[in-house]
Amino acid sequence: MSCGSVMTRVVPVNKVEPKESAIKISNLRKVFERKGEEIEAIKGIDLDIKEGEFVSVVGPSGCGKSTFLHIVGGFIERTSGVVSVQGEEVGKPAPDRGMMFQESTLFPWRKVYDNVAWGLEAQKFPKADIKERVEYFLKLVGLWEFKDNLPSELSGGMKQRVSLARVLAFDPKVLLMDEPFGALDSQTRETMQVELQRIWSESKKSVIFVTHDIEEAVYLSDYVVVLTKRPSVVKEILKIELPRPREVSIRKSYDFIDYRNHIWDLLHEEENVKSIGGQSNAE
Amino acid sequence: MLSSFKKSRFIVISLVELLLFLSLWQLLSMTDWFPTYVSSPAVVLGIISEFFMTGEVFPHIGISLYRSIVGFLLVVLFGTGLGILAGFFQPIGRFFDPVVSFFNPIPKIALLPVFLVWFGVTDMTRILIIFTSAFFPCFIATLDGVRGINKLYLWSAENMGASKFKMLYRVVLPAALPKIFDGWRVALALTFVMMFSSEMIGSSTGKGLGFMILNADAYGRTDIVLAAVIVIAALGFLFDRLLIGLRGRVLWWQNR
Ligand SMILES: Nc1ncnc2c1ncn2[C@@H]1O[C@H](COP(=O)(O)OP(=O)(O)O)[C@@H](O)[C@H]1O
Ligand SMILES: [Mg+2]
Repeated sequence: MSCGSVMTRVVPVNKVEPKESAIKISNLRKVFERKGEEIEAIKGIDLDIKEGEFVSVVGPSGCGKSTFLHIVGGFIERTSGVVSVQGEEVGKPAPDRGMMFQESTLFPWRKVYDNVAWGLEAQKFPKADIKERVEYFLKLVGLWEFKDNLPSELSGGMKQRVSLARVLAFDPKVLLMDEPFGALDSQTRETMQVELQRIWSESKKSVIFVTHDIEEAVYLSDYVVVLTKRPSVVKEILKIELPRPREVSIRKSYDFIDYRNHIWDLLHEEENVKSIGGQSNAE
Repeated sequence: MLSSFKKSRFIVISLVELLLFLSLWQLLSMTDWFPTYVSSPAVVLGIISEFFMTGEVFPHIGISLYRSIVGFLLVVLFGTGLGILAGFFQPIGRFFDPVVSFFNPIPKIALLPVFLVWFGVTDMTRILIIFTSAFFPCFIATLDGVRGINKLYLWSAENMGASKFKMLYRVVLPAALPKIFDGWRVALALTFVMMFSSEMIGSSTGKGLGFMILNADAYGRTDIVLAAVIVIAALGFLFDRLLIGLRGRVLWWQNR
């Protein structure tokens, strides 16, 4: 991945280069059509994400972050450009790209256990394997004792943890996460971030993580991609050279704060840019 | 599941309403506001108990239920099945949209002469009338239910590697079931309405509750007509409650 960081400090990173490309995106463009009117959501995004990298995407709201993930996931079509995962061009949605949506998509008619088992059943995992995996991942997110509850009986944070277990259970090569912790209180959110970092470092999956929380992006990521407002292009890509594993207290370090402030500046620059032709950035 | 409190509350309310209804009726029958006399509930209830004591009503109930239930099951099968397909596969839905707008407003009883020419005075004709009447409410409710499913459920299912078939019966069906049950309930009521109407056309076997009413009416016996109407109403009530019970069981996750 190319790096546009303005950081000059050299911090050792425990990573071996070069690596294989996990996700490659070039000249991605997306134009929505609504009532004969064209809305250009994404103007041009280029990214090259290597195996095992954790990449966050931040940008003003309505700039096309969800749209971007939906395209990588194969849920909506791109207008032009190329998206490939491990060398293969992306088509329909498939379990190799596990998606966590911005809102809970747990099935309300299935208990927590059966929700996590759903993807495994659909993919015809062996019965014993399903049992083992569901138990393992529900314990991992700390919700094994809620296995017989319905999603409607869980809090927002617990639902997101079940969603995480559900997507991890079928072992996708790539994780796509759309503001997964957006609705959580700061305490739960921090716990989830620590958990996610641990899970990710053990599984070494490639992750694209969309968030509007700058600190979350810096804390979790190898790279932070900052998008401009709609129609979005990549404004800057920062390499986050903080040592891993990262303690929660790393947020207090000067390096961390430098990164955070820099991204904050970039985003505020965007917000102050006058929209051309009086277009609003409705979400 | 209904709590036992809700269940017993329902029974108490039903009984109170029934009593109120019977007393009003009794009062009405004691006035002479109507040109011909209104049979008192006591008389009508007497006739109903006679129906059952002599057993003469059972063949009528049997044949009427047979027609209704076959009609209803066909509606459930085709109305729900086609509704799901039309809601899920857009081209099928686009094909059905004008068909529904065209056929739905037609009073299906208007087709009776046509069916009579094709199939004569048979159960086939009656079941067809029941089916064509009750099909659309079921089909439309299912279609709306499927079209209203949060697309993120479908996207998640696709993401988890589900085949189209698995999505149909593991996501689309359960997600649309609440709406589908609404459609079934309307269809069930229509089934009973049309069973009665279709039996008014004379009867090859001379059996059926509608036939009983028709026959009694010919002799001016309003008491027998009312008795038969009440039997139909009681059957309708029974099946409506059965359907609601089934709904509570199937949609257990909604009211836990
Ligand atoms: N299905 C759609 N049809 C038309 N416009 C859409 C559609 N989905 C998203 N958009 C528009 O595209 C832009 C980007 O949306 P989105 O990707 O949801 O933004 P973000 O996730 O960054 O907040 C918004 O202006 C939004 O209104
Ligand atoms: Mg979004």
